[in-house]
Amino acid sequence: MDDQGCPRCKTTKYRNPSLKLMVNVCGHTLCENCVEMLFVRGSGNCVQCDTPLRKSNFRVQLFEDPTVDKEVEIRKKVLKIYNKRDFDFPSLREYNDYLELLEEIVYNLTNNIDVENTKLQMEQYQRENRDLIQKNKVKLTREQEELEELLLLEQQGNEQRRLELLQDEQRQLQAKRKNKQALLDELEQSQLPATILLAQHKVRAAKLETQIEQQKQAVKPTSLFSTGINMRQTVTLQLPPKIEEVLFQYKALQVETYGPPVPELEQLGRLGYLNHVRAAMPQDTAGGYSSALACHRAIQDAFSGLFPLKR
Amino acid sequence: MFHNSSQGKYWIFLNEDDVEQKRYKANQKSRNKILESGKPGVSESKLLERHEEDVLFRHYEKRMVDFCNAFKPAMPKSVVGTAIMYFKRFYLNNSIMEHHPRIIMLSCAYLSCKVDEFNVSSTQFVGNLLQETPAGQERVLEQILEYELLLIQQLKFHLVVHNPYRPMEGLLIDLKTRYPTLENPESLRKNADDFLTQAAMTDAGLLFPPSQIALTAILNSASRAGLSMESYLIECLRLKEDKDALSKMYDSMRRMKTLLKKYELPKAEEVIACKKKLERIHAEFSSLSNKRKRGYEEDGHVAKEPRLTEEEWTDEDLL
Repeated sequence: MDDQGCPRCKTTKYRNPSLKLMVNVCGHTLCENCVEMLFVRGSGNCVQCDTPLRKSNFRVQLFEDPTVDKEVEIRKKVLKIYNKRDFDFPSLREYNDYLELLEEIVYNLTNNIDVENTKLQMEQYQRENRDLIQKNKVKLTREQEELEELLLLEQQGNEQRRLELLQDEQRQLQAKRKNKQALLDELEQSQLPATILLAQHKVRAAKLETQIEQQKQAVKPTSLFSTGINMRQTVTLQLPPKIEEVLFQYKALQVETYGPPVPELEQLGRLGYLNHVRAAMPQDTAGGYSSALACHRAIQDAFSGLFPLKR
Repeated sequence: MFHNSSQGKYWIFLNEDDVEQKRYKANQKSRNKILESGKPGVSESKLLERHEEDVLFRHYEKRMVDFCNAFKPAMPKSVVGTAIMYFKRFYLNNSIMEHHPRIIMLSCAYLSCKVDEFNVSSTQFVGNLLQETPAGQERVLEQILEYELLLIQQLKFHLVVHNPYRPMEGLLIDLKTRYPTLENPESLRKNADDFLTQAAMTDAGLLFPPSQIALTAILNSASRAGLSMESYLIECLRLKEDKDALSKMYDSMRRMKTLLKKYELPKAEEVIACKKKLERIHAEFSSLSNKRKRGYEEDGHVAKEPRLTEEEWTDEDLL
């Protein structure tokens, strides 16, 4: 964000990283201070493109590129009018055509191409489909409300839990304080010697601690699984169809080597081959090399292809 | 392993005639191409005949082997063997008239170092061309890199070559372990080694599996020392109960020995005459070969510098 300075005061952005940039409808940025400055003097023109502006049109910048913010604003306005959904169209092709039309409008408005025509187009569409737009608006708001309700519930649940935790903690603190106070009182009043009193106090404190631990571990019984299904509810699922197939039979790999059989790697030592190969030095065995490996490879190479090839 | 390698499947031919056929076809194709290109001054007599190509081929093969033997650091035998095999395979399907052997042989050696994991940097590699200045070595390196991709393509991307050196070691180990009749198999090693080096220069690698070549080498060396190893063949190798396999084995060995005997280095005068012809062909029809050299260049690619410097260095610069 630092590489983008405010075009008016230039330096303030680097010096003050907490400073926010605001974007307006023409797609240019200004830092908060400059916005204030600009409208204190009553003049409402953008510094770079000189379009007349209102202070209310400034919004906090969300994206690094101000043109993106501008496009987002335009898109919101366009979508308020062109708010058909995918099930409103009889075929996928028509829905895609509609979406492409939308994109063209947004593109034109963002890049200041053919602005008047596009605006006329939008007004015409608005007039023609007034009730449809209204219906869709209502639908949308209903969905949004439902979502918001759910969010609210979740938040409330969180709040409750937080409060309960706080209360628990306070209770524990109080209990400890009471304990200490009781000890002091007893030391004052009772006849027993101080050491015994201290020992008793320690035992009581320990008991309190275990009580607290137990409380923490006590799981609150809930009535809902995390997926939202009730605990008592029996859910019957359809069993997947059982597929019977022939079991796999392993057959060992047969490779035709056109030569005499080669002894196994492990047998080489016993058969005496390794006496005629250079023994592996400790440096070699550290990496996992053994003289049997080289011997086996040489024997394999020697025997492979000895017999005449079948043509 | 050899039995399921690309070498066994695609690069082992039935007999010497088969191999000769392929070379003849390559030669014919190249001749027709040059004749059809319609350039002035083209005549049949100027193009290389099959036996002349052979002379040059053997000559350049020898030069490559000498280059590899004089290489610093010392090149392992398998790298040399792989390089020779690449050279042979390349000129099985291509003609010497189209691609000059002096660059192909260096590309073969360079590629072989890479494939066989004999780590030499490119500057180190061209540093072994002792007659050249460092600038000249740079130019040679560029040419090598140009041809590399074409070489790999003509090898049909089958880059793993099985040489007979490891099979020979394996057979010696087996002899020592299972055939106590023979007292000192090590004595056979030197002669067998020489046999293998000679065999590498012949077409044996294109006709027989490397284990058979190694076996022939050992048997040859044993017969030279007057020892008979028939019992080894029958008992230990268990050459299938039918006598057929044994006789086929002897047959192959006889063929291999004939190949070795037939091989001879070409005479100097022949070489010089053929080389002159080759140089002229390449000079006149170099534009034909120019386009093909860049195996990887697309049409829109612009070369870094004009390729006028090709003909400057000659064979004498190599050694």
